[in-house]
Amino acid sequence: MNRSEGPVLEKEGSRKRRRAGARTWTERFTALAPLWTLLVLGIVFGFGSGGSFLRTVNLNNILIQSSPLAILATGMTFVLLTGEIDLSIAAVMGLTGMIAARLYLDLEIPEPWAVLVALLCATGLGLVNGVVSMRFRIPTFMTTLAMSMIADGLNQWVSGGKTIFQLSSLVQDIGSARIGGDDSLLRVMTAIAIGTLLVGLLVLRFTRFGRYVYMSGASKSAARLAGVNVNMVIISCLTICGFLSGVAGVVMAGHLGSALPTSIPSFLIETIAAVVLGGTALTGGRGSMFLTAVGVLIYETLRNGLDNITSINNFMKVFITGLVLLVALIVNVVFSGHRERDLA
Amino acid sequence: MNAAPVLELRSISKNFRALQALSEVNFDLREGETHALCGENGAGKSTLMRILAGIYSEYQGEYLLDGQPVHFRSPREALRRGIGMIHQELSVMPELTVAENMFLGRQPISPHGTVDWGAMNRTAEEELAKLGFLEIDVRRPLEKYPLGIQQVVEVLRTILSGARVLIMDEPTTALSPAEIERLIQLIDTLRRTHRSIVYISHFISEVMRVADRITILRDGRNVGTVERQDSTVGVLISMILGREVSAAAPPPASAKEHERVLLDVKGLGADAFTEVTLQVGAGEVVGLYGAIGAGHFETARALFGLYRYDEGSVAVAGETFPRVFSPRFAIEHGVAYAIESRRKSLFLDDAIFKNITLPHLHRIGRFVPRLSKELEIAGAAITLVGVHPPEPRNPVGKLSGGNQQKVALARWLTFPPKVLVVAEPTRGMDVGAKSEVLKIVRDLAEQGIAVLVASSEPETVLAVSDRIVVMSRGRVVRQLMNTNLDKDVLMRLL
Repeated sequence: MNRSEGPVLEKEGSRKRRRAGARTWTERFTALAPLWTLLVLGIVFGFGSGGSFLRTVNLNNILIQSSPLAILATGMTFVLLTGEIDLSIAAVMGLTGMIAARLYLDLEIPEPWAVLVALLCATGLGLVNGVVSMRFRIPTFMTTLAMSMIADGLNQWVSGGKTIFQLSSLVQDIGSARIGGDDSLLRVMTAIAIGTLLVGLLVLRFTRFGRYVYMSGASKSAARLAGVNVNMVIISCLTICGFLSGVAGVVMAGHLGSALPTSIPSFLIETIAAVVLGGTALTGGRGSMFLTAVGVLIYETLRNGLDNITSINNFMKVFITGLVLLVALIVNVVFSGHRERDLA
Repeated sequence: MNAAPVLELRSISKNFRALQALSEVNFDLREGETHALCGENGAGKSTLMRILAGIYSEYQGEYLLDGQPVHFRSPREALRRGIGMIHQELSVMPELTVAENMFLGRQPISPHGTVDWGAMNRTAEEELAKLGFLEIDVRRPLEKYPLGIQQVVEVLRTILSGARVLIMDEPTTALSPAEIERLIQLIDTLRRTHRSIVYISHFISEVMRVADRITILRDGRNVGTVERQDSTVGVLISMILGREVSAAAPPPASAKEHERVLLDVKGLGADAFTEVTLQVGAGEVVGLYGAIGAGHFETARALFGLYRYDEGSVAVAGETFPRVFSPRFAIEHGVAYAIESRRKSLFLDDAIFKNITLPHLHRIGRFVPRLSKELEIAGAAITLVGVHPPEPRNPVGKLSGGNQQKVALARWLTFPPKVLVVAEPTRGMDVGAKSEVLKIVRDLAEQGIAVLVASSEPETVLAVSDRIVVMSRGRVVRQLMNTNLDKDVLMRLL
């Protein structure tokens, strides 16, 4: 095993051995490295923007912009924790919005059935990802890559290449309505995102299934020896991820006010970046939903913050985003102690 | 054969920190000689062999090659001077052809700077023909051929790289009897071409067939070098163990009728083992002993659904298992398994309590396991087995090897299985930890569990078992009651 949570050996003759199991303050501090990164970014942009960044409206904007990413990241956290990956999320996301739109518009299926059927499709694609990978022992990297092309292709076929603007009021509300009247800041999509993260957090932290997810990711062989049905756990995680990609798709369609005939591929890499920024190991077994939420906020803060500093050349923004991401990743790895222990 | 030694070691010592692996060992190898190295596990055979092959470059003492002092810093350097090693785990490339494997890294080059395939295949065929292997198609991938042939190819590659001295580490463990015969013939051929061989093996009878001389190591010392013809199996075993051994074979175990057979294995067969039949009763500890490669570990794995078997049946408490079953099925039907590789069986980065409760999580809470209950169960279990420090929230990786093994066993204390299969429970532990772990195994049996201990360490099997089943080359060769048994008896049966 090459991930550790603190020192491996306690040196002989070290002073009084601290109470076994108690974590030191340094360990607690460094375990939350992503949170400190987020704070630092907030402070930097707060000063750098001359106040515009810290306005309530802008901060709420960050929450709104984060919402689809947060829903995707919740699903991706489940998958990455098992040590697998799902490359089909962006494509499934796009397809789901389109299915919901076509079902409502052309087949005249009333809401909420159109949305529910679309979500069922997304869940089904996640299930296929899992079953095919496990049954035929194909790496999820490959199956989900194929699935992303399948979902993209289906999207183009279903849409006939046309963008649909006539969405049901349900989908529109999901994407743009506010909870508690027109003056309220809280959007429906933000509430959905927060709810998703919260459920994900509770499942991972407290349920038997959550434990199986972590343990399967930490060591597949050890989990199998303890009688955990590792394949079933991975299939479940990919199914959850498919379902949540679908939710993100409906939310995004509502937010954009249209269903697009192509997916937005950047969502995939942004989701992975956000989850990993939160400290979830790509090798599985380590990470948390809370830090995934922080990772998503770091990512969106970065994007939003750069927009708020007018002196930065527009063309430099992507470059700077990449650079800051890299630094943030290094900081996270160094300070959260996820260093290689065994180099063999 | 009285030729001058090609190779000589003079008072070689080597230590790993506090452990003295070799002290003042002398060893010499004559031209065209096959010289066997024998000794128990930990006697220093591997260390000596690694020094010979240039793997260990730090040691005290002199290493002479053709009378000249040498000091190899790497196996590559040793090979350049004509000393090659054939590891137990072959280092061939199964996907490449036979010829490519023989010329790995030294393919003949045509004038155009490309690989000269014609010359390479021709030479490979000639070399194989010299040794009598006419039926091999050198253009086929090596993986199409059995292990015995792959080994021959590795030997040839080493010789073609210019080796005059071959170090063979346990070359026969994975071979079938026919392949062993062929290997012995190959060694005879090599002897005729004046190549010298250092032959390391657990199998005394085999050593008696191939070796010209035999050097015995015990506790890092050379306790004697004998000519094969002046020696007998009994003499060798006495030298290896350092005491007189009785010549009389012990009585085989009477097929004792156990009132309650919990594990009933009948005629189990796969590639690594054949017709394995054994029974373990409630409260009984049965040792499954064999040299590495004897098939006893594979048998143990098969009982837990980790190794496919083609024939025979496994029944636990009267219930016959399906032909293919998962570890999960095994656990649900009362089989528990603890393997020697703690790295593979434990979550080293995770808390002790999570390691202990994982197999039983569904019993602790249908959906949401209660942390307090988990800690209570784990706390009780680790106090019982004496994990030190007894703090269930500590990661397992911080514990010593012995304590880790205790955690692996503590898993099965709270909800005891019917059958516990343990593979090599004490590998790499100090004496104290060993006896503690073995005591836990015995205690588990006292609770009425049927325990099967698969091991290649005779001490472990003798210390813990009521009955010992000895396996050799995939077959059960003898069942013995463990009463006044001695190590030599087990070693003779290998």
